[in-house]
Amino acid sequence: MSGSAKTPVMDIQNTQSQMRKGVLEFCILSIIRQGEVYPSDLVERMKSANLHILEGTLYPLLTRLKNAGLLTYRWVESNSGPPRKYFVMTDKGLEFYSELERTWQELADAVHALTRPASDNTSDENPTQP
Amino acid sequence: MKKVININFQGRVIPIEESAYDILKQYVESLRRFFANEEGRDEIINDIEGRIAELFGESLKKGSTCITDDDVNHIIASMGRPEDFEDEEGKVQSQLGGEEKQSRTSYQYEPANDAPRGRLYRDDNDKILGGVCGGLASYLRIDPTIVRLVFALISFAAGGGILLYILLWIILPSKPLSNTSTTKRLYRNPDEKVVAGVASGIASYFDIAIWVPRLIFALPLVTGILTSIVRKTFWFDDDFFPGFVFGSFGGTLFVVYVVLWAVIPEAKSASEKLEMRGEKVDLNTIKNTIQEDLEGFKSRAEKWGGEFKDKAQQFGHEFGQTVNQKTQQFGKEAGYVAHSGGNRLLRAIGIMFKAFFLFIAGVIAFALLVALLALMAAGIGVFPLKNFFLEGFWQNFLAWSTLLLFLGVPVIAFITWVIRRIMGVRSGNKYIGFTFAGLWVMGLISAGILAASIAQNFDARARDKQDYSIVQPSHGKLIVKVPESKVKVYGRFFKMDGILSMTDDSLFLNNVRLHLVKSTDSTFHVNAYKYSHGSDESNAVNNVKEINYGINQDDSVLLLDRGFSLQRGTKFRNQSVTVTIQVPVGKRIVITGSVNRRLNYFHINSRNGDWDFDDDWNNNWENWSSDVEYVMTAGGLERVKKEQVSEDENNDGNNSEKDAIEKYKKSKEDLKKEYDKKQKEAEDLKKELEKPLDTTRYHYQKSVSYIENTDPAKFQANGRKNNNEELDLSSEGPAALMIMQMI
Repeated sequence: MSGSAKTPVMDIQNTQSQMRKGVLEFCILSIIRQGEVYPSDLVERMKSANLHILEGTLYPLLTRLKNAGLLTYRWVESNSGPPRKYFVMTDKGLEFYSELERTWQELADAVHALTRPASDNTSDENPTQP
Repeated sequence: MKKVININFQGRVIPIEESAYDILKQYVESLRRFFANEEGRDEIINDIEGRIAELFGESLKKGSTCITDDDVNHIIASMGRPEDFEDEEGKVQSQLGGEEKQSRTSYQYEPANDAPRGRLYRDDNDKILGGVCGGLASYLRIDPTIVRLVFALISFAAGGGILLYILLWIILPSKPLSNTSTTKRLYRNPDEKVVAGVASGIASYFDIAIWVPRLIFALPLVTGILTSIVRKTFWFDDDFFPGFVFGSFGGTLFVVYVVLWAVIPEAKSASEKLEMRGEKVDLNTIKNTIQEDLEGFKSRAEKWGGEFKDKAQQFGHEFGQTVNQKTQQFGKEAGYVAHSGGNRLLRAIGIMFKAFFLFIAGVIAFALLVALLALMAAGIGVFPLKNFFLEGFWQNFLAWSTLLLFLGVPVIAFITWVIRRIMGVRSGNKYIGFTFAGLWVMGLISAGILAASIAQNFDARARDKQDYSIVQPSHGKLIVKVPESKVKVYGRFFKMDGILSMTDDSLFLNNVRLHLVKSTDSTFHVNAYKYSHGSDESNAVNNVKEINYGINQDDSVLLLDRGFSLQRGTKFRNQSVTVTIQVPVGKRIVITGSVNRRLNYFHINSRNGDWDFDDDWNNNWENWSSDVEYVMTAGGLERVKKEQVSEDENNDGNNSEKDAIEKYKKSKEDLKKEYDKKQKEAEDLKKELEKPLDTTRYHYQKSVSYIENTDPAKFQANGRKNNNEELDLSSEGPAALMIMQMI
């Protein structure tokens, strides 16, 4: 059963999802950086940007980031249920984010440079292009 | 129609359908398992629960009266099941910087076989005895049930399993292992079932085609039915049903199926179905399991180690104080070591005791099981007799339900209980217990009704007398024999009093007694009293008429049938025959050993003539010996003395006749003497009584008199010695006898 691991089968979906998930945390942090946010709103915003994430996956991630001191939260009373946790970025988180942003920028440039031949750089598909 | 319950969820009261609540509970439980080794597990779960509560609130606000299955399923779909975000999670984690993540990603490309396993532990979380099987299962990553069954098999087959188990129990350290490591569990598959989904569940566990276990279960059953039908049509075998239910192989598998049905839980929820099929075996799941294990192991091992250390230190402290205070530091160390050793030993002894008691309990349980099986076997053994016992459809029906429910249900229930115990089925289905109890009570009731209705069939009793005309034996001596019967005796596996043998259409009873009495005249008379019970008078009389008992005579030899047979259609109603041989005074009779051997009872009664069935049967049957000549005297049967016997053999019949007469006369004289003596005694007693009462002295002495002639048979007649009437009656005997001789 696990023998398949010896000769890794590269299936397209797996690679795709890996690529997507790789930037997931970066995206989440960038949303939170823009202001206080409620997790399910966060999911909605990501969904509207065509980046799907399951809420069940988001909560552990937020908790981990919070425990790492990158995020903090405050309770907001809600009339449709229990009090809501609104997440906000800490200074440490901001630092962490700018670090990530720089890395991303470098990575994007590198990827862009490598994937686009010099002749064909009119494409504007890369959203991080300044 | 669904039951709605109120739950307190995240501080809010939520009306929810019970089934929806089950789904929700299972979902949260699966999350809890999934995040088992996550640092902020409780917080994560809490956050998710909070979100779910919010969504519930929204749904209720929209106007729905309660949370339904659909609501919950919808919410779960949007939140994602652990299975769904397992892979996502792994990769999200891998993004979270640090070297730990590096190593994680590297796992991804390592085959699971090379991945280090946890150490072999006894599982504290999943145990029946010591958790050895649970630990092994989690080490080997298989269903503990399988390990347990294998262990049980080894134990039953060779007994080595028990030793091995105890050894492992002592050797292996225990630790609570999480159950998530098992990838597959044995479930019944409700989606693809014919009877209960046992076969399909087994098939999906072992990854084989469904028809394989199905065929295994069904084939013996089918062949059993077929052979039963064939037997029934060609050999007119009567019992069709037992043919396939109790036929050795098919029956075993039938029982196995029923037991598995009861033991294996049904895969109801989606996650259970996933467990049944086994998780998707892709890299991520394997990696995940390993990660969970390793992380869990570290913290648990630390925790366990800490606990153990504390305990050991505590003991070590005591030890150190008592033994050596100066080298306390050293003592602590020593104590640590010594105590951990001693602790082990104590624990081992404790385990031995536990095992011992469990063994005793097991033996008792096993004995009970055997007893039940024996009862059932006996029931089945007696079953061929049912045609002779039972009347009509209802009694047959009741007999079947008694056998199956009253005796069969406890057997199956017991086996089920044992296997459930072995398999450690967690949530016992209480309905199984209720069902078994209900069925058994039904069996009990039918047993009661059956007993009552059978008893009713024995209500009335009838008696009939049949005289057999016999030729008087030429030598005045009758020899009674019971010849070997023509009926072959078989079916010795059970023995019932009075039943000699049986075939499908006849039952041979040897409920025959022999009774010797004194003849009222000077000739031998033979007659038979036939008895039978019946549901009413006329039925009993009919049953009596059915008894066909034969007595043959070959000159002086009287041949009694060994028994009588009941033909098919006649019911067994405790029919019995009592053969009465009236022996005239002065004549002799020899009861050969065959009578003693082959008849059910035989009795001697020295009374005159006719007798009633409630006559006192208490006779000197202990004094009786077979193959010995007895002579009838006025006082009863007397043993003919050895010398006389030898004389008799030399003399002719007349001489022996005369001897008998002389002897009889002599006995009469003896009686007269005794009579005189007794009279004298009576006078003495009278005198004694007439004396003034003297309280100071007690000088009455009972005088005991013995008869000079101490023939053993005389004792029989005890108490009848002074019976004048009897004397008178018997005095006619010799006279008539002489007349007969003259003729």
